[in-house]
Amino acid sequence: MTAPDAQVDSALRDRVVQAMTTVLKRLVEREEPITEDMHMADELGVSSSLGLELLLEVEEQLGIQIDVERMRPDELLTVGELATFIAGHSRPW
Amino acid sequence: MTALDAVSVYTPAFRVPIEDLADPLGLTDIQVRLFRRFHGLDQVRFAPDRSPGELLRAAVEGLAELRGQEHRVRYVIHGRAMPVVVPYPHNPLHDVCRQLGLGHALAFTVTQQSCASGLLAVELAGRLLAGDPDENALALVLTGEKAFTRHARLIPGTSLFGEGASACLVSANGPRDRMLSFVCAQRGDFDGEFGDREEEFQRQYRPSLAEVINRAVADAGLTLDDIRLVLPHNVNVVTWQRLCSLMGFPVQRVLLSNVPDHGHLFCTDAFANYRTARERDLLREGDHYLVATVGAGAGATFSAMVFQH
Repeated sequence: MTAPDAQVDSALRDRVVQAMTTVLKRLVEREEPITEDMHMADELGVSSSLGLELLLEVEEQLGIQIDVERMRPDELLTVGELATFIAGHSRPW
Repeated sequence: MTALDAVSVYTPAFRVPIEDLADPLGLTDIQVRLFRRFHGLDQVRFAPDRSPGELLRAAVEGLAELRGQEHRVRYVIHGRAMPVVVPYPHNPLHDVCRQLGLGHALAFTVTQQSCASGLLAVELAGRLLAGDPDENALALVLTGEKAFTRHARLIPGTSLFGEGASACLVSANGPRDRMLSFVCAQRGDFDGEFGDREEEFQRQYRPSLAEVINRAVADAGLTLDDIRLVLPHNVNVVTWQRLCSLMGFPVQRVLLSNVPDHGHLFCTDAFANYRTARERDLLREGDHYLVATVGAGAGATFSAMVFQH
């Protein structure tokens, strides 16, 4: 489950979105802006292995560990949905 | 009912930390960190001094239950992922059979289902024994092969292969570890050689494996709640975490502890995990457990078997 009732730190979420968009631009080699409503697989071409690379880089940039065991990739389709999950399901290293 | 009478596994003592494989396999720093962080890989086992035949022999020599029963073994089936592992006309399987007093047995190899060929070999052994007029006949299922090229050592972004071997004595009506069901789904459309279906394969990997698991459980007359333990293929940890999430099955009941310790041992994972489960007393008499694996290469095969211990 994505645990929608998890507490989300809005400041952390903002930092997650910032980190994600920066990393994604490089990973998918995109010049244009990346917005929260973008579908990661269909619009940005993020495969599952590229998605793991994204998670690793976000973890390292923000000094957090994401609870991937609770992640349901099928329910985290957009940039914003994944950012909310990360902000609600991570802890400092 | 097909039964596993005894299982022996050989895992080499020699282990290589995944960081040491970066240079020989051409892995980048981030690829190695991904393997460690999400795929749960730590070290990979190799047997640099053992040939393919010596790997198999090491596993058979650990099978004490075979001693004195060699004459009952009618079939020796090698379940293997790689189609070709030695130059023609060498045949390590036939060499091992001759060396171990099994030269009379019908011996052959199945590779058609890649890493799922080990389960295929068990199922075939059961079919052959069921049709054999000698009700005391046995089959010996072997797995084990060398990770001998970069292609054989690495599934990019997914797993690292190691080396190990297993020997499994199969009977038609044994008293323990009885096979209740077997389901396999072959997907020729995921052939890696003649088509570029990698992304679609990745997308359908977990739903396809979940589907055969659910069918195998249903065919056994059970529900997922009845499954005490899952013995997985050791492809990586994150795949099983996500698969369990998809299926609503507790990942704590999937035996993943050999992933960091072994790497992915081709067709041997299921048997190595079975031995680990036995050594840790994770299976009690009457428990139901499920073995699942995926073979990828020339097409893909998703397989699951349910047993009662």
